[in-house]
Amino acid sequence: MASIRFDKVQKYFGRGEKRTHALANIDLEIRDREFLAIVGPSGCGKTTCLRLVAGFEAASEGAVSVAGKRVTEPGPDRAVVFQQFALFPWKTARGNIDLGLRNKRMGGEERAKRIADVLKLMNLDSHADAFPHQLSGGMQQRVAIARAYVLDPEVLLMDEPFGALDAQTRVVMQEELVRLARVRPRTVLFITHAVEEAVYLADRVAVMTRRPGTIKEIVDVKSMREAEDWNRFERIEDVMDLDSFVHLRTRIWKSLREEKDS
Amino acid sequence: MAWRRQLVGLSTIITVALAWYLATSVTGFISGGRFPSPVDTWAAFRQISGRGYADGTLLAHALHSLRLVAMGFAVAIATGVPLGLLMGWSRRAEALINPVFLLIRPIPPLAWIPLAILWLGLGDAAKIMVIWFAAFVPAVINSFAGVRAVEPALLEAARMLGTPPWRFITEVLAPSASPMIFTGLRLSLQASWTTLVAAELVGALFGLGRVLNLAQQDIYPGMILVGMLAVAICGWLTTGLLALGEARALAWNQGESRPAS
Amino acid sequence: MGPKLSRSDALGLGGLGLAGFLGLWGALSFFGIVPVEFLPSPFAVGSRFIDLFAEPFAGFTLPQHLGSSLLRYLYGVLLAACIGIPLGLAMGWFHLLDDIVTPIFNGLRFIAPIAWVPFAALWFGTGIGGPILIIFAGAFPPCLINAYRGARFVEPRLVEAARMLGTNHGRMLTEILLPASVPSIVAGLRVAAGLGWQSLVGAELIVASAGVGFMMVQAQASVQTTTVMAGMVAIGLTGLAIDVALRQGERWLHNRLGLD
Repeated sequence: MASIRFDKVQKYFGRGEKRTHALANIDLEIRDREFLAIVGPSGCGKTTCLRLVAGFEAASEGAVSVAGKRVTEPGPDRAVVFQQFALFPWKTARGNIDLGLRNKRMGGEERAKRIADVLKLMNLDSHADAFPHQLSGGMQQRVAIARAYVLDPEVLLMDEPFGALDAQTRVVMQEELVRLARVRPRTVLFITHAVEEAVYLADRVAVMTRRPGTIKEIVDVKSMREAEDWNRFERIEDVMDLDSFVHLRTRIWKSLREEKDS
Repeated sequence: MAWRRQLVGLSTIITVALAWYLATSVTGFISGGRFPSPVDTWAAFRQISGRGYADGTLLAHALHSLRLVAMGFAVAIATGVPLGLLMGWSRRAEALINPVFLLIRPIPPLAWIPLAILWLGLGDAAKIMVIWFAAFVPAVINSFAGVRAVEPALLEAARMLGTPPWRFITEVLAPSASPMIFTGLRLSLQASWTTLVAAELVGALFGLGRVLNLAQQDIYPGMILVGMLAVAICGWLTTGLLALGEARALAWNQGESRPAS
Repeated sequence: MGPKLSRSDALGLGGLGLAGFLGLWGALSFFGIVPVEFLPSPFAVGSRFIDLFAEPFAGFTLPQHLGSSLLRYLYGVLLAACIGIPLGLAMGWFHLLDDIVTPIFNGLRFIAPIAWVPFAALWFGTGIGGPILIIFAGAFPPCLINAYRGARFVEPRLVEAARMLGTNHGRMLTEILLPASVPSIVAGLRVAAGLGWQSLVGAELIVASAGVGFMMVQAQASVQTTTVMAGMVAIGLTGLAIDVALRQGERWLHNRLGLD
């Protein structure tokens, strides 16, 4: 898989008087197969960072590259999971997952195999032929994740993917994602405003300042997770009870709080 | 109280029908030369169904008119929907085409009839041209609006999946805009019928409008009413067909996602 | 679709499109690709348009024709509004009235306004009544429907409050339902105005002895293409002016009433 790199990135929106400075001097490297979460106050530009990697926006200055290549436009090598799911309502779950593979001009047999595989991975077997409106929010997001995973992307970009789900479903999905990351590791850029979620899921957590956003600090979670062996627990609430978890969470939260209050 | 509504509705229709009959046939309050009685209307209907009127039976005239509407409508959506989609998708295309469109748009479709007759005579071609104009505008506007109303994340997702242009248009853009496209189609169909009848009234050799025209010249109110009812029924039938098509094409468009689990 | 174009880009492309269109049109007639009787040049149409302000055609000058058209139009639309709006409000309030009128209305709805022309001709000849009937047929449904919807779907709390205060039917209609329905009614009037204008044109093509539509039909009969096209321009401009005026009125009203 590949690494993501932000090199002295600046991003402005608008022209002339109405120009807003969204991102200032973003220098960030996400290593191969690293799970990096970005947290920050509303409007700090964390989603913009993701969109730059995805290729939906272009940097005003500086460069964003994936696996050494500069990002110019969107593509299946940088798969995106959107907060609002963005499933095509006129296609079934299967149809949604299939589109990316057909775009890659994959043969029918191979596609069927891959789809069956990813449906199993995401526990969607019995819902493959349902339409999005027939599925719950959690199921829809599973389909969206399946759609991204089936592409075997270099990089997975997740933009507050669980933000539109209710609290219980959210927890289930977080546990799912941890399991997934273990089984099929990938370079992941994960945007969230929920600090607990970031600490639970990520190897490192980047804290962004208010607009214009820069990286305030990056907190290493992985070493703590390995040292305290968080992975021995199946359930999220058990991990969140640990002192080490609470310590990291509080530290990040305080850092974030400074940004919100300043 | 749905049954009450049905009952009142039915009573009203019966009352109106009765009043019609009384006012015309029985009392002669409304003279037959002004508005036909039920009897006159029935007689006219029998004539046009049997012997024919204006060189054809009712069915022949209706089919002729239906054919013209179908052709004009088809050409209009084949040209209007893609143009609307293009203008919706590309801001450059919109900027380029919009002023010309704004110039043409305020001219009511019926105002094109004299010009169409000058260009193409009194035959079918002129009718189709005018129908095309009438149906074209709503198709463009609504397809355009349909694209603009699409959730941006859907289009981004399609781009992210590396969807090539043709597939993008057919499997993503058009379906997502289709609810509004169908609204446009309904308006286009309505406009098509109105325009056809008007064009045929101005000058035609055959068709329902011709029937109406001749009936008016012959001072044959019964036939006028038959013509009007025929137009209404044809309009109702074609609208129903379109609604069926819409229901099938938009079967996926039902409701929002269920909450939780 | 990407970000909005800058003002200059949009204007530039627009100008290009317009120039291309006019250029193509001009070229077709100038180079004789299409005969002049078929497609006169934009210039010829423009100058004919101006000529018609002084020079009468088919009995009157262009402004006089427009005046006749507008007069009928106003009568027709006002009639539609004066009958449609009160009736719609009443139907929205009195369910029994709704149950009675709706079947009749639904039955007549599918008859395109233009289909009333033969009867109009029969009853009114080429007098002013004919076009007014057609315009009425076109403008009436939106007036009725929008007033109906406005009254029917009024915020229930408002109605409950009024009833609690002992408001009688008449006052309910005039002081509660009418003001609450104003946005819907005004939107309906815009649609009615548009439909009415379309119906006017259609009617004048067939059953008039004056008016722009009549002028165009006469011009068509004597193959005066420039006059036909000048008439189209006049109709288009007037229709546009009416719509713009109504849109401004709607905006003013929304501001006045504090709606978004």
